[in-house]
Amino acid sequence: MNTPADDGNNNLRYAEYVLGVLDADARAAVAHEIETTGEAATAVALWQRRLMPLADTIDEVTPAPYVWARIHDALQLDAPARVQPRKGLWDNLQLWHWLGIGASVVAATLAVVVSLPRLAPTAIVVNAGYMASTIQQDNGSTGWTATMDLQHARMVVVPATPVAFAQGRAPELWLIPAGGKPISVGMIARDKPTTLALDPALLARLGPTAALAVSVEPLGGSPTGQPTGAVVAKGAISVAPDGGSKVAMTGDGRADQARGRSSQA
Amino acid sequence: MSVTSPAERDELNRLLIQTGRNDQKAFAELYKRTSSKLFGVCLRMLRDRGEAEEVLQETYTTVWRRAAGFDAAKASAITWLVTLSRNKAIDRLRQHREELLDEPSRLEETVDEQPTPAADAETSQEYRRLERCLDELEPQQRSSVREAFFTGATYNELATRCRVPLGTMKSWIRRSLMQLRTCLDQ
Repeated sequence: MNTPADDGNNNLRYAEYVLGVLDADARAAVAHEIETTGEAATAVALWQRRLMPLADTIDEVTPAPYVWARIHDALQLDAPARVQPRKGLWDNLQLWHWLGIGASVVAATLAVVVSLPRLAPTAIVVNAGYMASTIQQDNGSTGWTATMDLQHARMVVVPATPVAFAQGRAPELWLIPAGGKPISVGMIARDKPTTLALDPALLARLGPTAALAVSVEPLGGSPTGQPTGAVVAKGAISVAPDGGSKVAMTGDGRADQARGRSSQA
Repeated sequence: MSVTSPAERDELNRLLIQTGRNDQKAFAELYKRTSSKLFGVCLRMLRDRGEAEEVLQETYTTVWRRAAGFDAAKASAITWLVTLSRNKAIDRLRQHREELLDEPSRLEETVDEQPTPAADAETSQEYRRLERCLDELEPQQRSSVREAFFTGATYNELATRCRVPLGTMKSWIRRSLMQLRTCLDQ
């Protein structure tokens, strides 16, 4: 039995709900009404239409690419339909120049990339982000160059100067978050490019405050989940130039690169 | 991204309807076009990047699950999405309510904040209409309504921030809401 006064009060509650001033209990009560009575749902929808245009004035802020990666992961979305071959990173000459690697390495990497199974979603275009790292040996020469494609959650690690490894030992790549313990990214090849999938936990930690390092491990990888052998190369992570507009250059990067601490195995 | 043109709005409606049919490509496109707006909303209310990211993630996982219930006749996709993100952000704020009340300094820093006035070209016709109606309110009441909308604060919190008794705040807001309704429904 609704008197006009009740209607007025109810309408106010719906308005207050939409504006967002109700406390948790009162909110829950209105939310329940919306689910159960058409009248409440309609009144709330009307108030949303009246007030929501205020959000027009809120500045847009692009979320970090890993948010989409987490959503994608949480919903277990499949790899969507194969659209056209992906473009972007691999066609971005500026990026290759920035990485400063020669054409032969580019060719080798392209060969690997083209033959990759399409694990990653290709149709999803979020504000793409790439990061890169020059992983340097103790003597200053580049051991590997790592390029991280955040949008497709993968990393390609290309060897530059071959690093010698003892029989039965192989390089393992680690992500070292600022102030955190190393997280294994995977085993990498000494003599050819390696592509590694980045799980959301890794993606979430990539950034300019993190570093990459390569340690000497048994062929199957570190048995402990932490580096057990010497660290032979290390590099900071930088955000790659994006589509030619924002160029995050680091100079030649050598002077301020962290040096590998330990000696060659 | 601007969601103010009718064509863009129709496109978002289409994408949300397609998402409701489990079209992942449409969902990805919807995210691409709307996530910056929704992240702006979350960040504005929560004032913490990590929390805003979590709420944004919750929002879109809910979008994926509930998109089938979207009815373009009742609300536009962008209204539906902004509403969903605000509701998630407000729920999050209410969970932290006690902690927030313990930090008056944090509350006060938002008191005088005005929304960034967006250029006319960037706002919708609906916004300009609402703006005209807001302009008819008393300045203090207008700023309380804005503060409430943008921060998701409760009556209690608003009263504390504006240093007025709870009853005064309630009557300001309620009167404003009724006045807005009359003005907008003309």
